[in-house]
Amino acid sequence: MLSTIFAVLFYLATAIFVVGLAYRIRLYATTPAPLKIPTTPAPVTRSGVVARLFREVAFFESLFNSNKWTWLFGWVFHFAMLLVVLRHLRYFTEPVWFWVNWVQPFGKYAGFAMLAGLLALWGRRFLVERVRYISGPSDHLMLVLLIGIAGSGLMMKYVAHTDIVALKAFSLGLIHFNWQPLPADPVLLVHLGLVLVLAFVFPFSKLLHAPGVFFSPSRNQVDNPREKRHLAPWAAALDGDRSQGGSE
Amino acid sequence: MADFDTLKINPLFEIPALEKGAMKDLSPFVAAPNHQEDLGFPGELVDDWQTKAIEKFGELLKKSRALRVYMDGCVKCGACTDKCHYFLGTADPINMPVARQDLLRKIYRRYFTFAGKYFPKLVGAEDLTREVLDEWYSYYHQCSQCRRCSVFCPYGLDTAEISMAAREIMDHVGKGQKYCNEILGKVHKIGNNLGLPEPALIDTLEGLEEDIEEETGVEVKLPVNQKGADILLVTPSADFFAEPHVDGLIGYAKVFHQAGVSWTLSSYASEAANFAMFIGSYEQMKKVAERIRKAAEDLAVKRIIFGECGHAWRVAYSFMNTLAGPFDFLDPAYPVPQHICEFTLDLIEKGELNLDKSANDHMTLTFHDSCNVARGSRMGPTPGGQFEIPRAIVRAVCNNFVDMAADTIHESTFCCGGGGGLLTDDLMEIRVKGASPRMTALQEVVEEHGVTHMVAICAICKSQFSKVMPKYGIGMDRIVSLHQLVSNAIILDGQIGTEPDEETETDTSEDVATA
Amino acid sequence: MAYELNGKTFEADEEGYLVDISAWNEDLAVLIAEDENIEMSDDAWEVVNFLREYYEEYQIAPAVRVLTKAIKKKLGADKGNSKYLYELFPYGPAKQACKIAGLPKPTGCI
Ligand code: SF4
Ligand code: SF4
Repeated sequence: MLSTIFAVLFYLATAIFVVGLAYRIRLYATTPAPLKIPTTPAPVTRSGVVARLFREVAFFESLFNSNKWTWLFGWVFHFAMLLVVLRHLRYFTEPVWFWVNWVQPFGKYAGFAMLAGLLALWGRRFLVERVRYISGPSDHLMLVLLIGIAGSGLMMKYVAHTDIVALKAFSLGLIHFNWQPLPADPVLLVHLGLVLVLAFVFPFSKLLHAPGVFFSPSRNQVDNPREKRHLAPWAAALDGDRSQGGSE
Repeated sequence: MADFDTLKINPLFEIPALEKGAMKDLSPFVAAPNHQEDLGFPGELVDDWQTKAIEKFGELLKKSRALRVYMDGCVKCGACTDKCHYFLGTADPINMPVARQDLLRKIYRRYFTFAGKYFPKLVGAEDLTREVLDEWYSYYHQCSQCRRCSVFCPYGLDTAEISMAAREIMDHVGKGQKYCNEILGKVHKIGNNLGLPEPALIDTLEGLEEDIEEETGVEVKLPVNQKGADILLVTPSADFFAEPHVDGLIGYAKVFHQAGVSWTLSSYASEAANFAMFIGSYEQMKKVAERIRKAAEDLAVKRIIFGECGHAWRVAYSFMNTLAGPFDFLDPAYPVPQHICEFTLDLIEKGELNLDKSANDHMTLTFHDSCNVARGSRMGPTPGGQFEIPRAIVRAVCNNFVDMAADTIHESTFCCGGGGGLLTDDLMEIRVKGASPRMTALQEVVEEHGVTHMVAICAICKSQFSKVMPKYGIGMDRIVSLHQLVSNAIILDGQIGTEPDEETETDTSEDVATA
Repeated sequence: MAYELNGKTFEADEEGYLVDISAWNEDLAVLIAEDENIEMSDDAWEVVNFLREYYEEYQIAPAVRVLTKAIKKKLGADKGNSKYLYELFPYGPAKQACKIAGLPKPTGCI
């Protein structure tokens, strides 16, 4: 029964996550940017823009220039989370990919770093007056959710071990449509339940900053307006009246 | 209007503790019906303004990726909260960029997102009420669209784009700002922000020709509507009217004269400024930009050069090709358009200007990067040219130059406090308070390096500083035009008395002391 | 807002600039000047009168340079400079003197 509910919820969450996110990305990609608005100095070539975005995504360059504490906490959290997610791939691959094995030792400790980063970020929401002012219920809840996921994960690793062999059978079963029972371990159920919630809210929440950063015109545009005429389709339609001013 | 006391400069600049509602009562005069209607906006607040506002908002979301992504993308990290000069100067939390964005975002969430429709409390979504509209009107006119916040946001969220959109929505429901909209009307009717008609323009320019000849003995021309000239100069109309702007105009004229190029102004496009950017209207911005295209076509020029004006250069550099291009009828050997600084530095580097730096020895200078130039445009072929080129000119014409603190220049520059359509007397309070970070940085170099004057390349900056610097105990004539320095230093062929001159623009400065 | 003079009302905009330029008279100028805390000395009148003449011809107030040059001709070099004009009209000769002269406020980046 429990296994069925979770299995169904997993499919549903994946569907909402994928469809919701794809819809949003499509919306961003198809909405035109009528003007060139890169925050300058900006790269003058496409490859320069790729490098700029890479620095933003990999090092949080702008945040680094902005606020060192927020950068530190934010960066630690995000990259620890990345390691943790990669480490979790071992539950979905058989045989486990070799590089996922390499990640394992780092991923183990990354869980702590992730939790520490999250707690520090949450602390800012109480301790720094300006950040307290701009924090709404959803901002706190999102952190609580992530802290819950990280905390329950660490619990299973270091306090109340769960049956990971059975768990892996369950998750592989989901992938291969060959359903297996899920271990009825309360901590595991909390962990998975929170992950499901995260997947459900992702496409409707501020977590959209993840795809959004790639579509931000102030970061992803090439600074070449004098060399190349940039024109959005709806704006091109306005050019029709040009001929009156005509060149004669 | 000028009834708050001289403000003390805070020597160790600190992030203020929040003072809720500190600036909520400040909002600019509302545009009169005729100002609105001249631009095709409703004369006054329409009855069904809520519906109209949401409709317009929806339309903008479809037309602008920036708006769409910026509405969704903020994570409330707080990185931008201490980056806005208006927040630093007023302590009003809504002047923190993210809070300013949220004024629009809460409406976005309520009407355009799933979460806001069903869980408004959770995500801070709100109904569009009269109070919200008033808040918009107030706080979206306390943003100079300077983009400083965008530099520091991890996603580049640009509050300028958001306040432009908000103003566009307000214009469409009949609540426009008098200052911007009245001026745009004048541009359409008369050709410039001032409302300076052709005969007055010609009279003013003739006066300047006399002045230059009196000073130098050289007949330097300031031609208008000269068909077939090589260069069309488009400059802010403040350059014809105000000080120290006009000294910059004299500088351009001398540079053109010395370069031996033929150039002209246009009375039809006698304005570089394009206030339509401030009100976020693409259609208006295009209309204003098309004037320049038409002037270039009618006068059959080969190149277009822009004078010292910050937002005009952003519109010219970043948008003009989009709005009024392609400019394939101009000489392809030159970028379209060019900045006067690009032109002047090129001549200096080729050694074509005879410069006497000592003419500026009575000043120690620092350079104020104007926000629209710094963060919304470029000069020259490489990124950051907008910082290096003007400074290279200052160094070439002056012996004493010092930069202000690193976190207050280049792309981190602080706005003068008067940009984005705020340069109006009814907003004097926010203008003065918003200038405080720049004043702090200036005071530092005044004390440590004996800086006497600040150079700017923007008409708004120059006017704003000459008005607000006295509030900080700094003389109004301590702000100078970049090409005023060039004008001081340049020795024209055949110029009389090449000894360091007593310039008219410097003789007022001696007794207006810094405090 | 509006000005009251001898039982007549003269309409002005939010900032005190007369709506109807032709309604201006010298008494009204004195009244507006009082509002601005300015005493109408002979020199101040020279400025105001010049502004009105110039406006009559060009439909705009003169540029600062044009004004200083004209005043220099009339009152001498020691008064024909912007410093002196700011002494007469502390909030700026262009804006404040225009108000007193009953002319519309110059707009733009000034
Ligand atoms: S820096 Fe950007 S993401 Fe962070 S609070 Fe400000 S606008 Fe939002
Ligand atoms: S654009 Fe400039 S004025 Fe506007 S919120 Fe950002 S920093 Fe402040």
